[in-house]
Amino acid sequence: MRRKVSVIALNTILLLLGVVTVYPFVWMLSSSFKQNSEIMALEQHLLPQTFVLDNYVNMNAHFNFMRFFANSLLITLVVTVIVVYTSTLCGFVLSKYEFKGRKLLFGFVLSTMMIPWCVTIIPKYSMIQSFGWMDSYKALIIPAMFSGFGIFMMKQHISALPDEILEAARMDGANEFYIFHRIVLPMSKNGISSIAIFQFLWTWEDFLWPYLVINSEEKQLLAVGLKMFNGQYSTDYGALFAATAISIIPVLLIYLFFQKQFIAGIASSAVKG
Amino acid sequence: MFRKTHPLQSRSEIILRNIVVTAMVIFFTVFLIVPIGIAFAGSFHEWNPLSGTYNFLGLENYKEVFTSALFGKSMLNTLIFSVVVIFFRVALGLGIAYAIYSALVKHKSFFRALYYMPVVTPMVAVAFVWKFMYNPQIGMINQIFGLDVNWLMNPKTALLAVMIMTIWKDFGYAVVMFMAGLYSLPADALEAAKVDGANAWQTFRYITLPLLKPMTLFVVITSIISYIQAYVQILIMTEGGPGTATYLSSYIIYDEAFVKYNFGYASALSFVLFVITAVFTWLSFRVSGTEE
Repeated sequence: MRRKVSVIALNTILLLLGVVTVYPFVWMLSSSFKQNSEIMALEQHLLPQTFVLDNYVNMNAHFNFMRFFANSLLITLVVTVIVVYTSTLCGFVLSKYEFKGRKLLFGFVLSTMMIPWCVTIIPKYSMIQSFGWMDSYKALIIPAMFSGFGIFMMKQHISALPDEILEAARMDGANEFYIFHRIVLPMSKNGISSIAIFQFLWTWEDFLWPYLVINSEEKQLLAVGLKMFNGQYSTDYGALFAATAISIIPVLLIYLFFQKQFIAGIASSAVKG
Repeated sequence: MFRKTHPLQSRSEIILRNIVVTAMVIFFTVFLIVPIGIAFAGSFHEWNPLSGTYNFLGLENYKEVFTSALFGKSMLNTLIFSVVVIFFRVALGLGIAYAIYSALVKHKSFFRALYYMPVVTPMVAVAFVWKFMYNPQIGMINQIFGLDVNWLMNPKTALLAVMIMTIWKDFGYAVVMFMAGLYSLPADALEAAKVDGANAWQTFRYITLPLLKPMTLFVVITSIISYIQAYVQILIMTEGGPGTATYLSSYIIYDEAFVKYNFGYASALSFVLFVITAVFTWLSFRVSGTEE
Protein backbone atom coordinates (compact mmCIF):
# COMPACT_ATOMS: atom_id res chain seq x y z
CA MET A 1 0.00 0.00 0.00
CA ARG A 2 2.70 2.44 1.02
CA ARG A 3 4.64 1.49 -2.06
CA LYS A 4 1.63 2.13 -4.26
CA VAL A 5 1.20 5.63 -2.79
CA SER A 6 4.87 6.45 -3.41
CA VAL A 7 4.62 5.15 -6.97
CA ILE A 8 1.65 7.38 -7.70
CA ALA A 9 3.12 10.41 -5.93
CA LEU A 10 6.50 10.12 -7.63
CA ASN A 11 5.07 9.58 -11.10
CA THR A 12 2.69 12.51 -10.64
CA ILE A 13 5.55 14.83 -9.67
CA LEU A 14 7.62 13.69 -12.64
CA LEU A 15 4.67 14.16 -14.98
CA LEU A 16 4.01 17.66 -13.61
CA LEU A 17 7.64 18.56 -14.21
CA GLY A 18 7.24 17.12 -17.69
CA VAL A 19 4.28 19.43 -18.28
CA VAL A 20 6.36 22.42 -17.11
CA THR A 21 9.10 21.31 -19.52
CA VAL A 22 6.82 20.94 -22.53
CA TYR A 23 4.34 23.75 -21.88
CA PRO A 24 6.40 26.61 -23.40
CA PHE A 25 6.82 24.60 -26.63
CA VAL A 26 3.10 23.84 -26.83
CA TRP A 27 2.20 27.45 -26.06
CA MET A 28 4.57 28.75 -28.74
CA LEU A 29 3.38 26.29 -31.38
CA SER A 30 -0.27 26.87 -30.64
CA SER A 31 0.16 30.66 -30.58
CA SER A 32 1.75 30.48 -34.01
CA PHE A 33 -1.64 29.30 -35.37
CA LYS A 34 -3.61 32.08 -33.64
CA GLN A 35 -4.72 35.40 -35.05
CA ASN A 36 -3.04 38.44 -33.54
CA SER A 37 -6.36 39.55 -32.05
CA GLU A 38 -6.55 36.24 -30.20
CA ILE A 39 -2.94 36.43 -29.00
CA MET A 40 -3.63 39.89 -27.56
CA ALA A 41 -7.08 39.01 -26.18
CA LEU A 42 -7.75 39.34 -22.46
CA GLU A 43 -9.22 35.88 -22.26
CA GLN A 44 -6.54 33.37 -23.17
CA HIS A 45 -6.96 29.79 -24.34
CA LEU A 46 -4.10 27.38 -24.80
CA LEU A 47 -5.43 26.09 -28.13
CA PRO A 48 -6.32 28.45 -30.99
CA GLN A 49 -10.05 29.20 -31.15
CA THR A 50 -9.79 29.88 -34.89
CA PHE A 51 -6.95 27.97 -36.46
CA VAL A 52 -5.07 30.06 -39.05
CA LEU A 53 -1.93 29.59 -41.15
CA ASP A 54 -1.64 33.32 -41.88
CA ASN A 55 1.30 33.79 -39.56
CA TYR A 56 3.46 31.38 -41.54
CA VAL A 57 2.48 33.17 -44.75
CA ASN A 58 2.99 36.69 -43.30
CA MET A 59 6.36 35.76 -41.87
CA ASN A 60 7.65 35.19 -45.41
CA ALA A 61 5.82 38.12 -46.94
CA HIS A 62 7.63 40.61 -44.70
CA PHE A 63 10.92 38.92 -44.70
CA ASN A 64 12.68 36.22 -46.63
CA PHE A 65 12.51 33.91 -43.68
CA MET A 66 12.65 30.61 -45.53
CA ARG A 67 15.85 31.82 -47.18
CA PHE A 68 17.46 32.14 -43.73
CA PHE A 69 16.15 28.71 -42.94
CA ALA A 70 17.70 27.18 -46.08
CA ASN A 71 21.03 28.97 -45.45
CA SER A 72 21.14 27.72 -41.87
CA LEU A 73 20.32 24.20 -42.93
CA LEU A 74 23.10 24.20 -45.55
CA ILE A 75 25.79 25.65 -43.28
CA THR A 76 24.78 23.50 -40.34
CA LEU A 77 24.85 20.29 -42.38
CA VAL A 78 28.21 21.10 -43.98
CA VAL A 79 29.86 22.04 -40.66
CA THR A 80 28.36 19.02 -38.87
CA VAL A 81 29.59 16.55 -41.51
CA ILE A 82 33.08 18.07 -41.49
CA VAL A 83 33.33 18.12 -37.69
CA VAL A 84 32.10 14.53 -37.37
CA TYR A 85 34.70 13.39 -39.90
CA THR A 86 37.65 15.34 -38.44
CA SER A 87 36.71 14.44 -34.86
CA THR A 88 36.51 10.74 -35.64
CA LEU A 89 39.76 10.84 -37.60
CA CYS A 90 41.67 12.75 -34.90
CA GLY A 91 40.07 10.59 -32.19
CA PHE A 92 41.26 7.47 -34.02
CA VAL A 93 44.84 8.70 -34.40
CA LEU A 94 45.01 9.95 -30.80
CA SER A 95 43.60 6.76 -29.28
CA LYS A 96 45.01 3.95 -31.42
CA TYR A 97 48.43 5.17 -32.55
CA GLU A 98 51.54 5.35 -30.38
CA PHE A 99 53.76 8.31 -31.13
CA LYS A 100 55.86 10.87 -29.37
CA GLY A 101 53.93 13.94 -28.29
CA ARG A 102 50.56 12.17 -28.37
CA LYS A 103 49.76 12.92 -24.74
CA LEU A 104 50.86 16.51 -25.17
CA LEU A 105 48.66 16.93 -28.23
CA PHE A 106 45.66 15.42 -26.46
CA GLY A 107 46.22 17.61 -23.41
CA PHE A 108 46.32 20.56 -25.74
CA VAL A 109 43.03 19.52 -27.36
CA LEU A 110 41.47 19.25 -23.89
CA SER A 111 42.70 22.69 -22.92
CA THR A 112 41.10 24.24 -26.01
CA MET A 113 37.72 23.52 -24.43
CA MET A 114 38.62 25.75 -21.46
CA ILE A 115 39.10 28.89 -23.56
CA PRO A 116 36.04 31.16 -23.35
CA TRP A 117 34.58 32.37 -26.68
CA CYS A 118 35.22 35.97 -25.71
CA VAL A 119 39.02 35.59 -25.65
CA THR A 120 39.39 34.57 -29.29
CA ILE A 121 36.40 36.12 -31.02
CA ILE A 122 37.81 39.65 -31.49
CA PRO A 123 41.11 38.52 -33.10
CA LYS A 124 39.25 35.91 -35.18
CA TYR A 125 36.97 38.65 -36.45
CA SER A 126 39.98 40.82 -37.39
CA MET A 127 41.70 37.85 -39.03
CA ILE A 128 38.64 37.04 -41.14
CA GLN A 129 38.62 40.67 -42.29
CA SER A 130 42.27 40.56 -43.30
CA PHE A 131 41.83 37.18 -45.08
CA GLY A 132 39.08 38.84 -47.13
CA TRP A 133 36.56 36.23 -46.01
CA MET A 134 33.92 38.71 -44.78
CA ASP A 135 30.40 38.00 -46.00
CA SER A 136 31.46 34.62 -47.34
CA TYR A 137 30.56 31.16 -46.07
CA LYS A 138 34.29 30.41 -45.78
CA ALA A 139 34.19 32.49 -42.60
CA LEU A 140 31.49 30.25 -41.16
CA ILE A 141 32.94 26.90 -42.25
CA ILE A 142 36.75 27.03 -42.11
CA PRO A 143 37.22 28.26 -38.49
CA ALA A 144 34.77 25.52 -37.38
CA MET A 145 36.43 22.54 -39.08
CA PHE A 146 37.99 20.98 -35.99
CA SER A 147 36.33 20.79 -32.59
CA GLY A 148 38.21 20.17 -29.35
CA PHE A 149 35.05 18.78 -27.79
CA GLY A 150 34.43 16.48 -30.75
CA ILE A 151 37.99 15.14 -30.77
CA PHE A 152 37.85 14.54 -27.02
CA MET A 153 34.54 12.67 -27.28
CA MET A 154 35.65 10.52 -30.20
CA LYS A 155 38.94 9.65 -28.54
CA GLN A 156 36.99 8.37 -25.54
CA HIS A 157 34.72 6.28 -27.75
CA ILE A 158 37.35 4.86 -30.06
CA SER A 159 39.63 3.88 -27.15
CA ALA A 160 36.92 1.38 -26.23
CA LEU A 161 37.07 -0.35 -29.65
CA PRO A 162 38.99 -3.63 -29.32
CA ASP A 163 42.47 -3.51 -30.88
CA GLU A 164 42.08 -7.10 -32.08
CA ILE A 165 39.58 -6.08 -34.76
CA LEU A 166 42.00 -3.50 -36.16
CA GLU A 167 44.92 -5.93 -35.93
CA ALA A 168 42.93 -8.63 -37.74
CA ALA A 169 42.19 -6.22 -40.58
CA ARG A 170 45.88 -5.26 -40.74
CA MET A 171 46.82 -8.95 -40.96
CA ASP A 172 44.46 -9.23 -43.94
CA GLY A 173 46.48 -6.49 -45.60
CA ALA A 174 44.08 -3.59 -45.10
CA ASN A 175 45.74 -0.19 -45.01
CA GLU A 176 44.94 2.43 -42.38
CA PHE A 177 42.67 4.48 -44.64
CA TYR A 178 40.54 1.41 -45.30
CA ILE A 179 40.50 0.53 -41.59
CA PHE A 180 39.38 4.01 -40.63
CA HIS A 181 36.63 4.32 -43.22
CA ARG A 182 35.34 0.76 -43.20
CA ILE A 183 35.84 -0.30 -39.56
CA VAL A 184 36.33 2.63 -37.19
CA LEU A 185 33.71 4.99 -38.68
CA PRO A 186 30.89 2.42 -38.79
CA MET A 187 31.72 1.16 -35.29
CA SER A 188 31.57 4.63 -33.71
CA LYS A 189 27.87 5.25 -34.36
CA ASN A 190 26.93 6.27 -30.80
CA GLY A 191 29.74 8.74 -30.44
CA ILE A 192 29.11 10.11 -33.92
CA SER A 193 25.42 10.68 -33.34
CA SER A 194 25.98 12.52 -30.08
CA ILE A 195 28.61 14.79 -31.64
CA ALA A 196 26.43 15.25 -34.71
CA ILE A 197 23.50 16.45 -32.58
CA PHE A 198 25.65 18.74 -30.45
CA GLN A 199 27.43 20.22 -33.43
CA PHE A 200 24.17 20.60 -35.33
CA LEU A 201 22.65 22.43 -32.37
CA TRP A 202 25.67 24.67 -31.78
CA THR A 203 25.97 25.70 -35.42
CA TRP A 204 22.21 26.11 -35.77
CA GLU A 205 21.90 28.32 -32.69
CA ASP A 206 25.15 30.27 -33.04
CA PHE A 207 24.24 33.91 -33.13
CA LEU A 208 27.30 36.07 -32.68
CA TRP A 209 29.66 34.66 -35.32
CA PRO A 210 27.27 34.82 -38.32
CA TYR A 211 26.06 38.19 -37.05
CA LEU A 212 29.63 39.48 -37.19
CA VAL A 213 30.94 38.00 -40.44
CA ILE A 214 27.85 37.91 -42.70
CA ASN A 215 26.60 41.28 -43.91
CA SER A 216 24.26 40.66 -46.80
CA GLU A 217 20.73 39.72 -45.91
CA GLU A 218 20.39 36.97 -48.52
CA LYS A 219 23.32 35.07 -46.97
CA GLN A 220 22.26 35.51 -43.35
CA LEU A 221 21.42 32.61 -41.02
CA LEU A 222 18.30 31.87 -39.01
CA ALA A 223 19.35 32.85 -35.47
CA VAL A 224 20.43 36.30 -36.67
CA GLY A 225 17.35 36.53 -38.90
CA LEU A 226 15.10 35.80 -35.95
CA LYS A 227 16.62 38.68 -33.99
CA MET A 228 16.40 41.05 -36.98
CA PHE A 229 12.79 40.02 -37.51
CA ASN A 230 11.98 40.70 -33.86
CA GLY A 231 13.58 44.11 -34.11
CA GLN A 232 11.57 45.12 -37.18
CA TYR A 233 8.17 43.55 -36.59
CA SER A 234 8.08 43.50 -32.81
CA THR A 235 4.30 43.83 -32.71
CA ASP A 236 3.36 41.14 -35.21
CA TYR A 237 3.33 38.50 -32.50
CA GLY A 238 1.73 35.82 -34.65
CA ALA A 239 4.51 35.98 -37.24
CA LEU A 240 7.12 36.07 -34.47
CA PHE A 241 5.71 32.88 -32.98
CA ALA A 242 5.73 31.25 -36.40
CA ALA A 243 9.34 32.29 -37.01
CA THR A 244 10.41 31.00 -33.59
CA ALA A 245 8.59 27.71 -34.14
CA ILE A 246 10.36 27.25 -37.48
CA SER A 247 13.76 27.73 -35.87
CA ILE A 248 13.09 25.27 -33.03
CA ILE A 249 11.30 22.42 -34.80
CA PRO A 250 14.14 20.98 -36.97
CA VAL A 251 16.43 20.59 -33.97
CA LEU A 252 13.72 18.98 -31.86
CA LEU A 253 12.87 16.56 -34.67
CA ILE A 254 16.50 15.51 -35.06
CA TYR A 255 16.78 15.09 -31.32
CA LEU A 256 13.61 12.98 -31.04
CA PHE A 257 14.77 10.86 -33.96
CA PHE A 258 18.26 10.16 -32.56
CA GLN A 259 17.67 10.57 -28.83
CA LYS A 260 18.56 6.97 -27.87
CA GLN A 261 22.02 6.91 -29.45
CA PHE A 262 22.51 10.47 -28.38
CA ILE A 263 21.84 10.01 -24.67
CA ALA A 264 23.88 6.80 -24.66
CA GLY A 265 26.77 8.61 -26.34
CA ILE A 266 26.84 11.74 -24.19
CA ALA A 267 26.35 9.87 -20.93
CA SER A 268 29.05 7.27 -21.55
CA SER A 269 31.64 9.90 -22.42
CA ALA A 270 31.05 11.69 -19.13
CA VAL A 271 31.29 8.50 -17.07
CA LYS A 272 34.59 7.54 -18.66
CA GLY A 273 35.97 11.06 -18.79
CA MET B 1 58.64 13.87 -33.70
CA PHE B 2 57.21 11.43 -36.22
CA ARG B 3 59.92 8.77 -35.86
CA LYS B 4 58.90 5.12 -35.78
CA THR B 5 58.35 3.87 -32.24
CA HIS B 6 57.59 0.24 -32.94
CA PRO B 7 58.31 -1.94 -35.96
CA LEU B 8 54.70 -2.86 -36.74
CA GLN B 9 53.88 0.59 -38.08
CA SER B 10 52.94 0.50 -41.71
CA ARG B 11 53.57 3.17 -44.30
CA SER B 12 49.88 4.08 -44.39
CA GLU B 13 49.81 4.51 -40.63
CA ILE B 14 52.68 6.98 -40.75
CA ILE B 15 51.13 8.91 -43.64
CA LEU B 16 47.72 9.11 -41.95
CA ARG B 17 49.24 10.12 -38.63
CA ASN B 18 51.38 12.83 -40.17
CA ILE B 19 48.46 14.30 -42.11
CA VAL B 20 46.18 14.34 -39.06
CA VAL B 21 48.73 15.70 -36.59
CA THR B 22 49.87 18.40 -39.02
CA ALA B 23 46.31 19.47 -39.80
CA MET B 24 45.41 19.66 -36.10
CA VAL B 25 48.49 21.65 -35.21
CA ILE B 26 47.99 24.13 -38.06
CA PHE B 27 44.28 24.55 -37.35
CA PHE B 28 44.61 25.14 -33.61
CA THR B 29 47.59 27.42 -34.11
CA VAL B 30 45.79 29.63 -36.61
CA PHE B 31 42.37 29.72 -34.96
CA LEU B 32 43.31 29.48 -31.29
CA ILE B 33 46.91 30.21 -30.31
CA VAL B 34 47.47 33.14 -32.67
CA PRO B 35 44.11 34.74 -31.68
CA ILE B 36 44.95 34.37 -27.99
CA GLY B 37 48.28 36.07 -28.63
CA ILE B 38 46.63 38.90 -30.61
CA ALA B 39 44.00 39.38 -27.90
CA PHE B 40 46.63 39.43 -25.17
CA ALA B 41 48.69 42.04 -27.00
CA GLY B 42 45.53 43.99 -27.81
CA SER B 43 44.50 44.12 -24.17
CA PHE B 44 47.41 46.52 -23.56
CA HIS B 45 46.33 48.84 -26.36
CA GLU B 46 43.65 51.32 -27.19
CA TRP B 47 42.26 49.32 -30.07
CA ASN B 48 39.30 50.48 -32.12
CA PRO B 49 38.89 49.03 -35.65
CA LEU B 50 36.36 51.69 -36.69
CA SER B 51 38.69 54.62 -36.10
CA GLY B 52 41.76 52.52 -36.87
CA THR B 53 43.43 53.27 -33.53
CA TYR B 54 45.96 50.91 -32.01
CA ASN B 55 47.96 52.81 -29.37
CA PHE B 56 49.92 51.34 -26.51
CA LEU B 57 48.28 51.98 -23.13
CA GLY B 58 50.19 49.70 -20.79
CA LEU B 59 47.96 48.48 -17.99
CA GLU B 60 45.28 51.18 -18.47
CA ASN B 61 42.61 48.77 -19.75
CA TYR B 62 43.12 46.42 -16.80
CA LYS B 63 43.00 49.36 -14.38
CA GLU B 64 39.74 50.40 -15.96
CA VAL B 65 38.32 46.88 -15.59
CA PHE B 66 39.02 46.76 -11.86
CA THR B 67 37.72 50.25 -11.17
CA SER B 68 34.62 50.00 -13.37
CA ALA B 69 31.39 50.04 -11.37
CA LEU B 70 29.57 48.30 -14.22
CA PHE B 71 32.07 45.44 -14.24
CA GLY B 72 31.71 45.07 -10.47
CA LYS B 73 27.95 45.01 -10.78
CA SER B 74 28.14 42.47 -13.62
CA MET B 75 30.41 40.21 -11.55
CA LEU B 76 27.93 40.35 -8.69
CA ASN B 77 25.08 39.52 -11.10
CA THR B 78 27.10 36.69 -12.62
CA LEU B 79 27.85 35.32 -9.15
CA ILE B 80 24.19 35.39 -8.09
CA PHE B 81 23.11 33.99 -11.44
CA SER B 82 25.65 31.13 -11.38
CA VAL B 83 25.15 30.14 -7.74
CA VAL B 84 21.35 30.06 -8.00
CA VAL B 85 21.17 28.36 -11.40
CA ILE B 86 23.85 25.79 -10.55
CA PHE B 87 22.20 25.01 -7.20
CA PHE B 88 18.82 24.32 -8.83
CA ARG B 89 20.39 22.54 -11.77
CA VAL B 90 22.25 20.12 -9.51
CA ALA B 91 19.43 19.73 -6.96
CA LEU B 92 16.73 19.17 -9.59
CA GLY B 93 19.01 17.02 -11.71
CA LEU B 94 20.03 14.78 -8.82
CA GLY B 95 16.52 14.56 -7.34
CA ILE B 96 14.84 13.78 -10.64
CA ALA B 97 17.55 11.36 -11.76
CA TYR B 98 17.26 9.48 -8.46
CA ALA B 99 13.47 9.37 -8.77
CA ILE B 100 13.64 8.00 -12.31
CA TYR B 101 16.38 5.54 -11.30
CA SER B 102 14.31 4.16 -8.41
CA ALA B 103 12.24 1.03 -8.93
CA LEU B 104 9.10 3.12 -8.46
CA VAL B 105 9.14 4.71 -11.93
CA LYS B 106 8.52 2.70 -15.07
CA HIS B 107 8.93 4.88 -18.14
CA LYS B 108 12.54 5.81 -17.47
CA SER B 109 13.74 6.68 -20.95
CA PHE B 110 10.53 8.59 -21.67
CA PHE B 111 11.08 10.96 -18.74
CA ARG B 112 14.76 11.35 -19.48
CA ALA B 113 14.11 12.24 -23.12
CA LEU B 114 11.34 14.64 -22.08
CA TYR B 115 13.45 16.65 -19.64
CA TYR B 116 16.30 16.84 -22.12
CA MET B 117 14.21 18.60 -24.77
CA PRO B 118 14.91 22.19 -23.67
CA VAL B 119 18.65 21.43 -23.59
CA VAL B 120 18.75 20.74 -27.32
CA THR B 121 16.61 23.73 -28.27
CA PRO B 122 18.41 26.79 -29.72
CA MET B 123 19.00 29.43 -27.06
CA VAL B 124 18.04 32.39 -29.26
CA ALA B 125 14.63 30.88 -30.00
CA VAL B 126 14.03 29.73 -26.41
CA ALA B 127 14.93 33.18 -25.09
CA PHE B 128 12.32 34.68 -27.42
CA VAL B 129 9.66 32.20 -26.30
CA TRP B 130 10.31 33.12 -22.66
CA LYS B 131 10.42 36.81 -23.46
CA PHE B 132 6.91 36.44 -24.87
CA MET B 133 5.84 34.34 -21.89
CA TYR B 134 6.96 37.10 -19.48
CA ASN B 135 5.28 39.77 -21.61
CA PRO B 136 2.55 41.40 -19.48
CA GLN B 137 0.24 41.78 -22.52
CA ILE B 138 0.45 38.45 -24.28
CA GLY B 139 2.42 36.31 -21.84
CA MET B 140 0.99 33.26 -20.12
CA ILE B 141 2.99 33.46 -16.89
CA ASN B 142 0.96 36.30 -15.37
CA GLN B 143 -2.22 34.64 -16.66
CA ILE B 144 -1.51 31.28 -15.04
CA PHE B 145 -0.39 32.65 -11.69
CA GLY B 146 -2.85 35.55 -11.67
CA LEU B 147 -0.01 38.07 -11.31
CA ASP B 148 0.52 41.53 -12.67
CA VAL B 149 4.29 41.76 -12.91
CA ASN B 150 6.30 43.24 -15.76
CA TRP B 151 8.99 40.64 -15.23
CA LEU B 152 11.71 41.82 -17.59
CA MET B 153 11.17 45.55 -17.07
CA ASN B 154 11.29 45.51 -13.28
CA PRO B 155 14.84 45.65 -11.85
CA LYS B 156 13.73 43.44 -8.94
CA THR B 157 12.45 40.58 -11.09
CA ALA B 158 14.45 40.77 -14.32
CA LEU B 159 17.47 38.72 -13.21
CA LEU B 160 15.17 36.22 -11.47
CA ALA B 161 13.17 35.84 -14.67
CA VAL B 162 16.31 35.12 -16.71
CA MET B 163 17.50 32.64 -14.06
CA ILE B 164 14.19 30.75 -14.10
CA MET B 165 14.38 30.47 -17.87
CA THR B 166 17.97 29.21 -17.68
CA ILE B 167 17.12 26.62 -15.03
CA TRP B 168 14.23 25.41 -17.19
CA LYS B 169 16.55 25.11 -20.19
CA ASP B 170 19.46 23.41 -18.43
CA PHE B 171 18.24 21.07 -15.68
CA GLY B 172 17.67 18.22 -18.14
CA TYR B 173 21.41 18.02 -18.81
CA ALA B 174 22.03 17.35 -15.11
CA VAL B 175 19.28 14.70 -15.12
CA VAL B 176 20.97 12.81 -17.95
CA MET B 177 24.40 13.12 -16.33
CA PHE B 178 23.27 11.95 -12.90
CA MET B 179 21.33 9.06 -14.42
CA ALA B 180 24.50 7.98 -16.23
CA GLY B 181 26.33 8.26 -12.91
CA LEU B 182 23.68 6.25 -11.07
CA TYR B 183 23.67 3.44 -13.63
CA SER B 184 27.43 3.09 -13.43
CA LEU B 185 27.47 2.72 -9.62
CA PRO B 186 29.08 -0.52 -8.41
CA ALA B 187 26.23 -2.93 -7.64
CA ASP B 188 28.14 -4.60 -4.77
CA ALA B 189 28.32 -1.40 -2.70
CA LEU B 190 24.55 -0.98 -2.86
CA GLU B 191 24.06 -4.70 -2.20
CA ALA B 192 26.31 -4.53 0.87
CA ALA B 193 24.33 -1.60 2.25
CA LYS B 194 21.12 -3.59 1.83
CA VAL B 195 22.62 -6.60 3.63
CA ASP B 196 23.72 -4.33 6.51
CA GLY B 197 20.13 -3.16 6.88
CA ALA B 198 20.54 0.44 5.68
CA ASN B 199 17.26 2.14 4.83
CA ALA B 200 16.67 4.02 1.55
CA TRP B 201 17.75 7.41 2.93
CA GLN B 202 20.89 6.01 4.56
CA THR B 203 21.86 4.25 1.36
CA PHE B 204 21.38 7.46 -0.59
CA ARG B 205 23.16 9.68 1.93
CA TYR B 206 26.13 7.46 2.77
CA ILE B 207 26.63 5.31 -0.34
CA THR B 208 25.08 6.85 -3.42
CA LEU B 209 25.85 10.50 -2.80
CA PRO B 210 29.59 10.05 -2.08
CA LEU B 211 29.90 7.77 -5.11
CA LEU B 212 28.27 10.44 -7.27
CA LYS B 213 30.79 13.05 -6.19
CA PRO B 214 32.87 12.95 -9.40
CA MET B 215 29.72 13.39 -11.51
CA THR B 216 28.53 16.25 -9.30
CA LEU B 217 31.89 17.92 -9.71
CA PHE B 218 31.73 17.43 -13.46
CA VAL B 219 28.29 19.06 -13.65
CA VAL B 220 29.32 21.95 -11.38
CA ILE B 221 32.50 22.71 -13.32
CA THR B 222 30.92 22.54 -16.77
CA SER B 223 28.14 24.79 -15.40
CA ILE B 224 30.58 27.36 -14.03
CA ILE B 225 32.41 27.49 -17.34
CA SER B 226 29.22 27.89 -19.35
CA TYR B 227 27.49 30.45 -17.07
CA ILE B 228 30.51 32.72 -16.93
CA GLN B 229 30.21 32.75 -20.73
CA ALA B 230 26.41 33.16 -20.90
CA TYR B 231 25.16 36.19 -22.81
CA VAL B 232 22.57 35.13 -25.41
CA GLN B 233 19.61 35.10 -23.04
CA ILE B 234 20.59 38.59 -21.83
CA LEU B 235 21.03 39.91 -25.36
CA ILE B 236 17.57 38.67 -26.39
CA MET B 237 15.55 39.15 -23.21
CA THR B 238 16.84 42.29 -21.44
CA GLU B 239 19.97 43.74 -23.12
CA GLY B 240 21.40 44.12 -19.63
CA GLY B 241 18.52 46.20 -18.37
CA PRO B 242 16.51 47.59 -16.78
CA GLY B 243 19.40 49.85 -15.80
CA THR B 244 22.23 47.44 -15.10
CA ALA B 245 20.07 44.85 -13.33
CA THR B 246 20.88 41.97 -15.67
CA TYR B 247 24.37 42.83 -16.92
CA LEU B 248 26.34 39.57 -16.87
CA SER B 249 30.10 39.73 -17.35
CA SER B 250 30.07 38.12 -20.82
CA TYR B 251 27.33 40.45 -21.97
CA ILE B 252 29.59 43.43 -21.15
CA ILE B 253 32.26 41.96 -23.39
CA TYR B 254 29.77 41.58 -26.23
CA ASP B 255 28.61 45.15 -25.63
CA GLU B 256 32.10 46.68 -25.41
CA ALA B 257 33.46 44.72 -28.37
CA PHE B 258 30.67 44.68 -30.92
CA VAL B 259 28.42 47.57 -29.96
CA LYS B 260 31.06 50.12 -28.87
CA TYR B 261 34.05 48.59 -30.72
CA ASN B 262 36.42 49.02 -27.76
CA PHE B 263 38.43 45.96 -28.77
CA GLY B 264 41.32 46.64 -26.39
CA TYR B 265 39.16 47.09 -23.32
CA ALA B 266 36.99 44.09 -24.29
CA SER B 267 40.14 41.95 -24.64
CA ALA B 268 41.30 42.97 -21.18
CA LEU B 269 37.85 42.06 -19.83
CA SER B 270 37.98 38.66 -21.49
CA PHE B 271 41.38 37.82 -20.01
CA VAL B 272 40.15 38.78 -16.56
CA LEU B 273 37.14 36.53 -17.09
CA PHE B 274 39.34 33.73 -18.38
CA VAL B 275 41.49 33.85 -15.24
CA ILE B 276 38.37 33.90 -13.05
CA THR B 277 37.01 30.82 -14.87
CA ALA B 278 40.29 28.99 -14.37
CA VAL B 279 40.43 29.92 -10.66
CA PHE B 280 36.86 28.76 -10.03
CA THR B 281 37.47 25.50 -11.83
CA TRP B 282 40.60 24.91 -9.77
CA LEU B 283 38.73 25.86 -6.57
CA SER B 284 35.92 23.40 -7.19
CA PHE B 285 38.51 20.67 -7.61
CA ARG B 286 40.14 21.72 -4.35
CA VAL B 287 36.92 22.02 -2.35
CA SER B 288 35.78 18.57 -3.36
CA GLY B 289 39.21 17.15 -2.59
CA THR B 290 39.44 15.06 -5.75
CA GLU B 291 42.61 16.51 -7.15
CA GLU B 292 43.70 13.44 -9.00
